[in-house]
Parts: sequence; structure tokens; C-alpha cells
Amino acid sequence: MKAVIDTDRCRGHGICWSICPEVFDLTDDGYAEVLTPEVPTAYEAQVREAAGSCPEHAITVN
Amino acid sequence: MHTVKDFEAIDFFQDDEVVADPYPYLAALRGKCPVQRENHHDVTMVTGYDEAIQVLNDSDTYSSCLSVTGPFPGFPVPLDGDVDVSALIEQYRDQLPMSDQLPTLDPPMHTDHRGLLMRMITPRRLKENEASMWHLADAQLDVYLAAGEGDFISGFAGPFTLRVIADLLGVPDEDRNSFVEGLEHQPRGGVGSTDGEMAYSPLEYLYGQFSAYVEERRREPREDVITGLALAKFSDGSTPDVADVARVATNLFAAGQETTVRLLSNALKLIAEDPDLQHLLRTERDRIPNFIEETLRTESPIKGDFRLSRVASTVGGVDIPAGTTLMVLNGAANRDPRHFEDPETFDPARANARHHLAFGRGPHTCPGAPLARAEARVGIERILDRTTDIRISESVHGPAEARNYRYLPTYILRGLTHLNLEFTLAEEPAR
Repeated sequence: MKAVIDTDRCRGHGICWSICPEVFDLTDDGYAEVLTPEVPTAYEAQVREAAGSCPEHAITVN
Repeated sequence: MHTVKDFEAIDFFQDDEVVADPYPYLAALRGKCPVQRENHHDVTMVTGYDEAIQVLNDSDTYSSCLSVTGPFPGFPVPLDGDVDVSALIEQYRDQLPMSDQLPTLDPPMHTDHRGLLMRMITPRRLKENEASMWHLADAQLDVYLAAGEGDFISGFAGPFTLRVIADLLGVPDEDRNSFVEGLEHQPRGGVGSTDGEMAYSPLEYLYGQFSAYVEERRREPREDVITGLALAKFSDGSTPDVADVARVATNLFAAGQETTVRLLSNALKLIAEDPDLQHLLRTERDRIPNFIEETLRTESPIKGDFRLSRVASTVGGVDIPAGTTLMVLNGAANRDPRHFEDPETFDPARANARHHLAFGRGPHTCPGAPLARAEARVGIERILDRTTDIRISESVHGPAEARNYRYLPTYILRGLTHLNLEFTLAEEPAR
């Protein structure tokens, strides 16, 4: 599984980071970034939850 | 209680009954149309979820120039009849209240200044500060809990959130007490007051303090947070004016403190009112984050804010002429039954609670959302740790079947004026 953030859409809600800090972080500017583009199997469910919870629909997983 | 039929007689911006409980009025408004003009101040009220998101996301069409004040005093010149009021907005926006504050800015200026604020409350800073957040909560609880009962807002939520932000911004230790005292004795902001009072700039004190800090650190940099703020640059590499930095630091207090106080007190009211909920949160602490989201959904500390349409548009099938003042009601969108099933019911396990708009959407999304969530979680965790039971004070708020709560008399904020609690202390407080 891969996770990608559309940085134009991200507004820094920080929800993905609160759900799965192992995969998502926030940059020094306060916007989300993916730490491990190849999502470890153990975190797949959390990453899906994060993508579904993103208020700006900025996260895609595939 | 008004019936749905005569809700149009109610003036949302001045009615005491709406202050006490805005939700029946907002539901009636949404029931008529999710984008509905109210006839007292000529404001188009956006109460639907999808409609609110459309407006919040489209800063090209909807200016934030009067976001905090809306129709009071309103735009200085008439706006009807023009096809595009953008030029008038640029000409007159400086005359609007709070015109130098982040919530009233539009891109591209907003983008730059918000970037400065985002850099002040990054996750790294939050992680560094979370440890001291626990310490600050405990220090305040030592004082508050010792009395056995008391007002949660003045006894805990207010001083705790003030100290967290002072800590986050790196107010030097030697100044911490005078800083907090200076703020506690400031008159409370008059924004959105339903009695028509309006303070022009309630945060002069902070602004002065931060200007002095920034000037000092630019002259003599130190190894501290304020030096980081003082030397922060805009994304194009240019250096902000001292005033710009002082202003965004002030914004953080203005927008972040009062609102978090209301979130914490709304949460504690729910906990104290509902023994089953309290038991659930005590025994299953991992439910606290979603409980906080549901609290934000059902009692959004900001009821809503305003936009001014630059050009004609359509929202939810309703034509919006150029020059229309819209109020986007987060607190109403969060109870839209088209998005939240059984929206009036508080459900701490609600699966889509996080979809709420309490922190807004789009370019003006609250940059302090992660901070507010952390403060709420730490505050709730510690007060649960250090008590075995939290109850509403019946001597102040009346018996369970006839409670008496007072809410801030503003059309912007939704929050209790005071919340008197009683508690049973845990025997050996865990640290």
C-alpha cells in the first residue's frame, strides 16, 4: 500500500498525524507529510482510517 | 420555547433565548433552507454541511474581510448593484474591525501570514511542549482541586490554556507571571457581543509585549523560542515586520485561548452530567479523543463566522448576489442530519464525529486544531486521574431536573460563562 498527500489540498488539520504518527507527520510549516510512502502492513488499517478522516480529502491510498 | 413557525421573528444576533440554546433556531432555519437569508440584519445564514464547505473552500468568491464582525458595523459603503465588489473590498477593508488579524485576511496575504503562525505551533513544538502541558495541568489542578469544588473555567481551563500558550510561544520564565496576570486582567474581547458593544482591539497588551520581544531578539538573538519567531521568514525569504510577527503571536492567544477554554468546559459539563459517560471515559481512556471530537461537533466553540461574496454565485441552489454577507454556521452544519445521523444525540462513539467543521475548512482552517486537541486531552486525562467522581454543583446550577447554565452573550462564541463542579479526589493522585 502507498499513501500520497495532495499538498495543495492539505490545510494542516493534523488528523492523519493523530491517527497514525508512524506514517504521517506534520512539517515545520504545519502541513502533513508521509514518512514512509510504502505503508507497513501493520499500519494499513490506520492509514485507510486517516485517508477517510481527512477533512480536505487530501490523502489517497492505493 | 419558540415554535418552528415563528422562528423568523427571532433575531439571531441579539436574542437571549438563542444565546441560551441556538440549536432549535438553527435547525428551523436549516429546515426552511440550508442557505437562508435572515430578515433582521440581511445576513444569509449557511446552516447546511455541504453548503458550508462550499463557501469555506472558495476564498476566490467569498472574502473573509468581515469574518469576525459580519453586519456589525457592516461594510462602510453600500455594496448592492455591483457585479464585482472586489475593488471596493480592497479600498475599504482597512476600515473594518480587526482588519490586520489573520481571520480577516484573504489570499495571497493570508497565505503568508498564516504560514508564520503555522511555524509557531508545529508538531515538533507540540511534542516538545506536551510534557510541560502535563506539568502545567497538574500545577493548576493542585490549586483548583484543593478547594473540593469551584468554577472550572476560572479555576482551571482559563489559567491552564493561558500558560500552555505562553509556554508554547516561549514567554521567558521571568516574565511568565506578569504576562499571565496582564492577560487575566484584560477586559474580555467584545467580539460578537449580542448587546452591541464592540471593542476595537482588545489585545493591545499582548501586541506590545510581543513587539518588544521580537525587537529585542532581533537585536540580540538567544537560544529560545521567541528568537525563532523573531527570525522566521515569509515563504519568499523576506523578513516580516516586527508588527507582523507580534500580530500573529497575538492571534494565537486571541483565537486559541478563549475557544479552548470553551471546549474544555463543554467537555467537563458533559462528563459531570452523565455518570455513564464519565465511567466509560475513566475506564476506557482511548475513547477520549473521539469524545473530544463529538464535543466539538455538538457544541462548537465558534458558532460561525462571516464571508462577503465578491461576485454572484450559487450555494445549494440559492442565488447569492455580489456583496452579500454570509454567516457560515459551523455549529449548525455540525448538526445537519444529511451528514450526521440523529445529529442531536451526543454519541461519544460516533464514527464520523471527526467530520465536524468546528475548526473550519479550507484556507482559514484553525491552525491551532492539533494544539486544542492536545490541551483538551491532557486536561481531561489529568482531571480524571486525580478524581474518582466529578459532579455538577447543584448549589450553583440547580438540581439535575432543572439545571441553570449561562452562556456567553455573543453570536460568535458558544460556551458557558462558568461551570461549577464538585469532585471526590483520588486517594493517591497518580503523577
